[in-house]
Amino acid sequence: MIRVNNVTKSFDGFPALNGLSLHVKKGSIYGLVGVNGSGKTTIIKHLIGVYKQDEGEVLVSGEAIYDNVSVKEKTAYISDDLYFFGMYSLKGSALYYKKLYPNWNDERYAQMVHQFGLNEKVKLSKFSKGMQKQAAFILAMSSMPEVLILDEPIDGLDPLIRRLVIKYIVEDVAEREMTVLVSSHNLKEMEDLCDSIGIINKGKMLIERDLDDLKSDVHKIQVVFPEGEEAPLDGLEVLYREKRGSVELFIIRGEREKIENNFKKSRPIVFDLLPLTLEEIFVYETGGENDELKEILF
Amino acid sequence: MFRIDLKSRKAIYEQVVDNFKEMIISGILKPDEKVPSVRELAKELTINPNTIQKAYRELESRGYFYSVSGLGNFVAAPSDKQDNSARINELKDTLKTALNELMYLECPKEEIMEILKDTALMREGETER
Repeated sequence: MIRVNNVTKSFDGFPALNGLSLHVKKGSIYGLVGVNGSGKTTIIKHLIGVYKQDEGEVLVSGEAIYDNVSVKEKTAYISDDLYFFGMYSLKGSALYYKKLYPNWNDERYAQMVHQFGLNEKVKLSKFSKGMQKQAAFILAMSSMPEVLILDEPIDGLDPLIRRLVIKYIVEDVAEREMTVLVSSHNLKEMEDLCDSIGIINKGKMLIERDLDDLKSDVHKIQVVFPEGEEAPLDGLEVLYREKRGSVELFIIRGEREKIENNFKKSRPIVFDLLPLTLEEIFVYETGGENDELKEILF
Repeated sequence: MFRIDLKSRKAIYEQVVDNFKEMIISGILKPDEKVPSVRELAKELTINPNTIQKAYRELESRGYFYSVSGLGNFVAAPSDKQDNSARINELKDTLKTALNELMYLECPKEEIMEILKDTALMREGETER
């Protein structure tokens, strides 16, 4: 549904995107993850046709989106810094959106306003920040987009509203195969919602994979051996190891069964094998050689 | 009926698989009973439909579900289940760990044997029904 191939973009000689590629399947919920300044917002602005790439391809629904109205009509976007016409109420904005988006759904709009409990006659500039986020979400979802792009969407929403937002997203993915791309720093939340993850760093895609595959590929092992017994690491790809007292900690890439069999040979007293959380994978992959950073986490 | 723990390190699709397995093993879901569609369950649990889809595929490949195109997914009869030797070994290990702890806590052997007998009796009773 979204295909980005080898895109580069520089601002005044500063390379923000460095041959970035990104692929999102139809009906998928894709999490875009990266440290500050890694190029997340820049690539998102390409995906909605605000920026034009220097080189490479940006295709949404199989077409280049830049200056392409028919693709933009089917794409909704919520930015992290919201922008409204300050004098407009939610109702006024809805009328404006209705003119821009041919698939606009009045019924959905009315239902959402009711469920979120917003006053549609108050000027949007009088809304709190959280209410403005909700208003933006109502407008985006009422345009019945085929592609929904969210930049830091759920921050600043209370848990109840957050659940409601997620409910709407999941419903549209289930009912009409809406495609979603989300960027956030809240990795725990991304982990619960997304099925695919792209980690970008310095304007490049570092890893792009199915979330469950990503998680089942790397393991955290805490182990205590009887005295004199060494960790049997033959044929295992050890990414990180550390000893704290008698407890040894390993991060190992590979199949769970193989690792288990290997370790059990040495009859460990304690053996815990845990899948990594997305947060741990993220720090591991973007922290690079920075061992101090890793020590904070593992 | 479903318990999904978002705080668990266990993948959500695995939790869905385990939930269904439990319900099938305990007889809450009977053979040939229809299970909710991917969409229904995704909406009910507010979980990514692709994750539910993945769990259903897994359940089918392990022989807990069968699908009829156009009609949906159904619970398979136990005899349709496939090779379970890996899972059996895994469960034996779990049992050993539990037994070790029980013995360490000086739980009498007779009581442990009692548990085994009772469980076997209960299952036999269920299959006769």
